[in-house]
Amino acid sequence: MTDGGESDEALIGRYARGDAAAFELLYRRHEMRIWRYLERNVGNRATADELMQEVWFAVARDAVRYEPTARFTTWLFTIARNRMIDSNRMSRRQVSLEAVGYEAESVVAQLTTEPGVGPLAAVVARDQATALTRAIGQLAREQRDAFLLQIEGDLSIEEVATITRSSFETTKSRLRYARNRLRELLSEYA
Amino acid sequence: MSRMPPTPEQPDDVDDQYRRASALDPSRPGEAVSRTVLAYAAQLAAERAAAYAGNKLKSRRTASHAWWRPAILGTLAAAGLAGLLIAPQFLAPRAPPVAEPAPTAQAVDSTASESAPPQSAQTPEVTARPPVPVRSANLPTRATHARPKANGATAALPAQPTSVAPPAGSEAAGTGAFVAGAPARELRVPGSPSAVTSIAAAARIGTNPSAALRRAAEVGDLAALEALLEKQTDIDSRDGAGRTALMLATLHGQADAVTALLTHGADPNAADADGTTPLQAATAGDHQTIVAALRRYGAR
Repeated sequence: MTDGGESDEALIGRYARGDAAAFELLYRRHEMRIWRYLERNVGNRATADELMQEVWFAVARDAVRYEPTARFTTWLFTIARNRMIDSNRMSRRQVSLEAVGYEAESVVAQLTTEPGVGPLAAVVARDQATALTRAIGQLAREQRDAFLLQIEGDLSIEEVATITRSSFETTKSRLRYARNRLRELLSEYA
Repeated sequence: MSRMPPTPEQPDDVDDQYRRASALDPSRPGEAVSRTVLAYAAQLAAERAAAYAGNKLKSRRTASHAWWRPAILGTLAAAGLAGLLIAPQFLAPRAPPVAEPAPTAQAVDSTASESAPPQSAQTPEVTARPPVPVRSANLPTRATHARPKANGATAALPAQPTSVAPPAGSEAAGTGAFVAGAPARELRVPGSPSAVTSIAAAARIGTNPSAALRRAAEVGDLAALEALLEKQTDIDSRDGAGRTALMLATLHGQADAVTALLTHGADPNAADADGTTPLQAATAGDHQTIVAALRRYGAR
């Protein structure tokens, strides 16, 4: 991802040589993507905060070992996913959004109107977000993980398959099921 | 909001809805998270910038030091080959013309005249052999292990270490002085009342005991290593790249030195400035004996 600036790979290289500003650029560029991936997977903001910190600590620490054989985003989301799995193992918490009380309601309740957006548009946006967040929470874990990886990481099916250590076909199926299920759920909420 | 349910013919409808909703989602990581992450990254960057500058110096010194052996071997091989080619030409005129041509002289002549094909056939066998790879070149860290191609120019200059002056006051300065060949003089090792009078011992130990210890470990000089360890030299002292004696011995495949250092209590997990541990270095260099020794002493 470049968003018109320096590539991620160039930035991580600069950081590995001691340029702190390069890291901040990278962080700001991917902060929200990683946050949403974690938060929507674990369904708990405090845990997502902890994981977020661990992920970026790992990026900072291991920057010198990054080799641009894969895209930076692939590497980044691999770290995020591994941290999430480790966290689940350590805490013995099986991620079940229903069981832990998914924070969809509280998240959506905080949706605010952006400047220039009228009240009606805000209500519409809130409805959309409510429906979507609930729907994501109802996906099977593997499907949700694959979908969030792809959409937040802008990753290809191959890259998602690599990160999740699944075959291409399995990943493709998971993504297809995830989208179909989301469509069904969204039509129910509509 | 469109109340029409998305149809399967619209492949990106769900993605679009997701992105729209995400754009309006105000939930963010806590401010403390961002502050902590960026502060940690800045701290690492500062350390890394310093280490990177040091490593560049060190790698130049290490590379030029590490490649003098292949350069000398190559020179010797070339000299030997030249000798083989030239010697018959000098030998042929000296053959006594008066006596009955001895069969051996004929053989020499015939060898001289026909020697080109056989010798050239042998030549590739000698010269095509690649230079002996330095074991540490297998390591993943880039700054401390320069590749031969990148240092081809310096490889031909075995005396190069003396030309790279480490920062004054650093321990590397002591190492540099040692490499350059400290003048033979009486030296006192701190903590020892006795003077080291042997020229050889003085050369081994050098002026900086910590640097000398690392040097001894690097080249596998067990006698010097033991002598320095008995003088209670700091066993885990580091060079400019953050490498301990144990790390240097590991990098150079000095299994006996590794064992000696571990026996004397060297930290088996002391990572260098890049975060590479001795176990990682040994694994990367495929030094199985060292890997086993490190594991025995709790390396991770």
